[in-house]
Amino acid sequence: MLNFLFSDFMHEFSIALEIVDTLEENGYLDGVNKVNSVRLNIGKYSGIDRNYLDFAFQNLDDDRFKGVLLEFVLNDSDEIRIEEIMVD
Amino acid sequence: MFNSNRINKRIKAGSPGRSGGRSGRALMVQRNAMESNEVIAQKNKALFGRAFVMNFLSSPGSGKTSLLESIAPVLKSEGFKTAVIEGDVETDLDKKRIDGLGIPAYQIITNGTCHLDAKMVNFSLDNLDIKDTDVIFIENVGNLVCPTSFNLGEDMKAVVFSVTEGDDKPLKYPAAFYKSEVMVINKIDLLPALDSDIAKIKENALSINNGLIIFETSCKKKSDCGGAVDEGIAGLVSFIKEKIKLKKNEYLRSR
Repeated sequence: MLNFLFSDFMHEFSIALEIVDTLEENGYLDGVNKVNSVRLNIGKYSGIDRNYLDFAFQNLDDDRFKGVLLEFVLNDSDEIRIEEIMVD
Repeated sequence: MFNSNRINKRIKAGSPGRSGGRSGRALMVQRNAMESNEVIAQKNKALFGRAFVMNFLSSPGSGKTSLLESIAPVLKSEGFKTAVIEGDVETDLDKKRIDGLGIPAYQIITNGTCHLDAKMVNFSLDNLDIKDTDVIFIENVGNLVCPTSFNLGEDMKAVVFSVTEGDDKPLKYPAAFYKSEVMVINKIDLLPALDSDIAKIKENALSINNGLIIFETSCKKKSDCGGAVDEGIAGLVSFIKEKIKLKKNEYLRSR
């Protein structure tokens, strides 16, 4: 049962990790204790399920993202863009 | 072989609580969320050099490996140096099939991850001799959702679709058809036994991406002398040869 659940969400876990890596590698998380929200612009051809992505963030082993609120703006592309983050 | 446990190690055990909200300091980011993968994909593109690289996406069981077994020997017999990167959740069974053709292959085992990413392919390039290679085929993990999000540095994505999958598949999984330049409708030898409507499959796929170049193939018809017997396979091989030539010219011009 756990395997079934995990494979269902695997795509969104990968995307969540890419988002964290992109923020990390570009210095947005330097000195940040907590990320309160992340605003994402998501294309309808990106293959992302918003609920699954939210679930993925809630289960990352990274305390900075504990309880993070995801906000979504939708578009007709295949892109996933990080627009803004709110941090402490 | 490459074994990936990257994702599994970063997922927390136990259930979370939610405490975030729109408070704190705002940081404008305005970046591609896949940038981390994209940086490595561009490195891969440089490493591929003059080789034309095709990334095959499909559901499990659509016949990607059989298609490679039909295409690659024809290209090899015509003097094109070919290499294959295989992606699977488990086993190196597909690599062994490609090995059997005398074509260099590298197996990525993702250990549960549902797609290949640029980092995995980058690692494979340290272990696969692609010097002077004309064409590299990447067989992604069988999945029509996740692989569409990850650029591997390829020149082109191709979605392989078998006639057993249902005419409405392109509508249900639009991202794979939207992001591919080529659609291969495979296993057409099974059509007499099915209710599949090939015209409807094409109509549905073209409603997502009207630029798709479509080939209808059967991997059942084999040739003893190396050439392709199936008309669709022959058409796909001709298309790939043309792309190899264009990529080589483009590469030489850029140097």
